[in-house]
Amino acid sequence: MKLENALLVYWKDWTEVKRNWQVILPIILVPLLISVFLPVILFVASGYGDSSSTGNLEVLIENLPPNIQAELAGMSVRQVMLYATSLYLFAPFFLIIPIMASSVIASDSFAGEKERKTIEGLLATPLTDSELILGKILVSFVPSMIVTILAFVAYSASVDVLGYGIYGRLLLPNVNWLMLVLGLSPILSLAAIGLTVIVSAKVKGFREAQQISILLILPVLGLLFAQGAGLMILGPVVIIELVVLFTVMDVIVFRIGVSLFQREEMVSKTS
Amino acid sequence: MSTIEVEGLSKSFGTIVAVDRLSFKVGAGEILGILGPNGSGKTTTVRILSCLISPSGGRAYVGGFDIQKDPVRVRESVGVLTETPSLYERLSAYENMDFFARAYGISNSDTRIARIKDVLEFFELWNRRSERVGTYSKGMKQKLAIARAIVHSPEILFLDEPTSGLDPKASKDIRDLMERLSRQEKRTLLLCTHNLEDAEKLCSHVMIINKGRSVVMGTTEELRRRIAGQPKLEIKLNETSDKIILATQSIEGVKNVEADKDSGRLIIELDNAETQTPYVVRSVVENGGLIKSVGLLEPSLEEAYLKLVKEEPQ
Repeated sequence: MKLENALLVYWKDWTEVKRNWQVILPIILVPLLISVFLPVILFVASGYGDSSSTGNLEVLIENLPPNIQAELAGMSVRQVMLYATSLYLFAPFFLIIPIMASSVIASDSFAGEKERKTIEGLLATPLTDSELILGKILVSFVPSMIVTILAFVAYSASVDVLGYGIYGRLLLPNVNWLMLVLGLSPILSLAAIGLTVIVSAKVKGFREAQQISILLILPVLGLLFAQGAGLMILGPVVIIELVVLFTVMDVIVFRIGVSLFQREEMVSKTS
Repeated sequence: MSTIEVEGLSKSFGTIVAVDRLSFKVGAGEILGILGPNGSGKTTTVRILSCLISPSGGRAYVGGFDIQKDPVRVRESVGVLTETPSLYERLSAYENMDFFARAYGISNSDTRIARIKDVLEFFELWNRRSERVGTYSKGMKQKLAIARAIVHSPEILFLDEPTSGLDPKASKDIRDLMERLSRQEKRTLLLCTHNLEDAEKLCSHVMIINKGRSVVMGTTEELRRRIAGQPKLEIKLNETSDKIILATQSIEGVKNVEADKDSGRLIIELDNAETQTPYVVRSVVENGGLIKSVGLLEPSLEEAYLKLVKEEPQ
């Protein structure tokens, strides 16, 4: 497999995608809006709620690492609630953002070529199966990670601007979030993109591919609920474990993708 | 030496036999035309030889490479014009060409730019190279698709309906190009077409297939003669008469006489038009016929094709 050939497929697809504002706008705007609105709603609403109890967040707070708990000990109930929510409860959103952002492009990867009847010309080239699959994965991965990092910057800025008056210091970025956004998020999204690209190669059209790919968000939503319920806290150790797990999964997904790649099946689904 | 060798090639989709034990050879610089009605297996044959689908049986070598063992080498050595143009409509013509040129291994940018310019200029698309393909007419897209197929100067070209959707001038340009590629550059062409004019003008050999089977193969001349028969003699007179018709029918070697009394035209089927024509002309004159013109009506490939396809059991 030649990386330059995979990058050639990436370049071709990206040139097409960036000219389609109907695809690009929701990919960029939705995560950015969520990243700004979530902290705004949280910080504004916290000023009006019951300030005597942390409510449903108690389990989450009890399961936080001891050093964080020690830090929380000297804070007011509002400070604890805002800290736990903005730094822990919302963290899994940044695992969902790259999956959401990549799902449209990844679903379109092969299924779109079949629908637009361009697949035959592409498959007739000497590009190998691995080069085609890697190129298609990269074109979903790169923009989704750019969007995720931009969303993280917007989120950090919002939390810091809104929280500075409450804590007297900047909360983000911290090591935990940098590991999450720059470590776990790309590794996890690669597995999701890989699976979506495989589905896209197997089904006849974009719509079917996207419907199936939405299911991939469910396990990540599970992480969100697990964190909210205090069952699993995305601390440094858990993040490293998940990075190792999903790195192995990325390799397995890629190999499965190559072994399932059938030019004949794809050509026959265009007719 | 044959650059395409096919032996007993078959392809089934479930119970449907799309290609049924096809065998043929195409030498360097030859153009083989594959003719057949819709669904006869032309496109499936090209797809198998381009390594897009695998055969159910038989063997094929393209450019010396086994299509089953060396698919990447086969893809490198062929250019394919698919049934649909297969172009990226959001990319410009130049971007499309650049992508395919690089995919086919033209890594040197100077060589690539020069080759793309050369090909696009030939198709009169160079001045519109920066426009998105989505804005192109059907004919322009077809020209660009052919340009893409030849951008890497392949030794072997598979062209599925190359003149489809083109105006007469563009069709002629494409025919001239195919002729040049075959005769001057010794490239091997496999041409699937419904356009019998293309096949007649270009192909050194023609294979007519129906329901995946090769019905007949030979030079266009052989097929015309074998299937549609000898040329017919056409005599245009000031006017015909029963006397002339009866006298003509009585000449040895005359098989049939059709007369159009309104136009004064006689169409005469002969055992051998070339040797018997003088006797027929003499008979017509002796029986009072005033001849305006005499000519031979060569059977067309279209007649041969239609006759053959009609005769094939459905």
